[in-house]
Amino acid sequence: MVMPNSRVTVITGGGSGMGRATALRLARNGDRVCICDLNADAVNATAELIRAEAGSVFSGVVDVRKQAQVIAWIAQVIEKYGQIDCLFSNAGVNARAKVANMTLAQWSLLIDTHVTGTFNFCQAVLRHMVPRQAGAIVITSSDFAIIGVANAANYCAAKTALYSLTKSLALEFAPHIRVNAIGPGPIDTPLLRAHRTQEEFETARRTFEARLPIKRLGQPEEVAAVVDFLLSERAAFITGQLIQPNGGQVMW
Amino acid sequence: MPQDNKHRGRVAVITGGSGGIGGAVATRLTAEGAIVHILDVKSGDDNLRFHAVDVGDEASVNRIIDAIGAEHGAIDYLVCCAGIYQPQPFLELSLDAWRQTLQINLTGMFLCCRAALKYMMPRQFGRVVLFSSMAARTGGKNVSHYAASKGGILGLARALAVEAAADNIRVNAISPVITDTAMPRAVVSDAYMQSRKNHIPLGRIGAVQDMVEACLFLLSDDSSYIVGQDLRVNGGSTLW
Repeated sequence: MVMPNSRVTVITGGGSGMGRATALRLARNGDRVCICDLNADAVNATAELIRAEAGSVFSGVVDVRKQAQVIAWIAQVIEKYGQIDCLFSNAGVNARAKVANMTLAQWSLLIDTHVTGTFNFCQAVLRHMVPRQAGAIVITSSDFAIIGVANAANYCAAKTALYSLTKSLALEFAPHIRVNAIGPGPIDTPLLRAHRTQEEFETARRTFEARLPIKRLGQPEEVAAVVDFLLSERAAFITGQLIQPNGGQVMW
Repeated sequence: MPQDNKHRGRVAVITGGSGGIGGAVATRLTAEGAIVHILDVKSGDDNLRFHAVDVGDEASVNRIIDAIGAEHGAIDYLVCCAGIYQPQPFLELSLDAWRQTLQINLTGMFLCCRAALKYMMPRQFGRVVLFSSMAARTGGKNVSHYAASKGGILGLARALAVEAAADNIRVNAISPVITDTAMPRAVVSDAYMQSRKNHIPLGRIGAVQDMVEACLFLLSDDSSYIVGQDLRVNGGSTLW
């Protein structure tokens, strides 16, 4: 149930996949959820799903790469609610290419969206968390921050940067504000299906399933449960860590 | 504190369940409706089912876990907390002391896992949490035997996780930093315990409740896609 003192939780990339699943879960918990996405139709659809369950939602279209847009949208959130308790910085995009053929645009799209976008949101939100000496942040990194993978140097570099950013923020904003990263494995999201035909996706799925100890893809709701845990008081003594809902793909 | 029925009726075996972290996990799971069996060398809470056992003794472990499995027809959760912490400078460390620490801390977990998985495999359900320590990664003065045993636990957890995941048995570890229990207090001063918080970004040493929450998270479906991981509940003191 949404209460006047419910947490205010900001989620980027709330239009699909893990962002949407987390928004739905936290809204059910009673959070006042603030979601943004680059895709207006997608973020509106998530907002409708939350309203249909009588949850509290505020939504907007934001390009996380644009600092002025981020600051302006966070100002709207503060004007509406007066505080921000939690941030799930999750907006992401992919553009696969071999390094030899990778354009600067493909490189920059990933670095700007994942890394600079998370910097923009963390800085804008932390300015409001610090005076209250309270807050929790979760950043979507990836298993690829640990293992690397071919044809995804831009994605791996971006996700590893996010892991490093997480650790620095955790140290800089302790003891009152906690910052953790998640390192999801293969999760069945629109991003995993992007740029693949249904047939190619099924082939990729079989490859993942054969290789994963748990023998199945993860669902966005399984990641949402981990984000919920890390943002909650249940994880009050956990900061600066990478938590990996990855079906056993990587164990370190 | 979440109060729902996710642990109700689950059969849980907790080693070291009379001690600080294990005892708190046992109390909490009991409060949430689980059927809790404690394996420990000493008895704790009189209201809980207690079995006196040295977890390093193969025959005793098998006998007791078989009895629990037979009584309930199932073992759903295994939480291994039993361990000893007896710091010794390396050059003064006797082979007997080395063997005892490895036997209880590491071989004890192997024996309990092997005995309990026999009841998890046929039912295609199991949740296992092994308590390691930050010492597995950081080492420390006078704890070569302890650090070796705790490092071994991470290897055991990962290998067992790979072997059992396809049977819906999830194995994970927790690595606490120094936590306010009788175990460290038996060998270090209160002043030392308090000084440790200066090296922990979140500004305090671990509380038993921090470890209980982490353990219940790993036992619950909230962690359904987490396999073979080490949850480092350490206040940010070590970030890898």
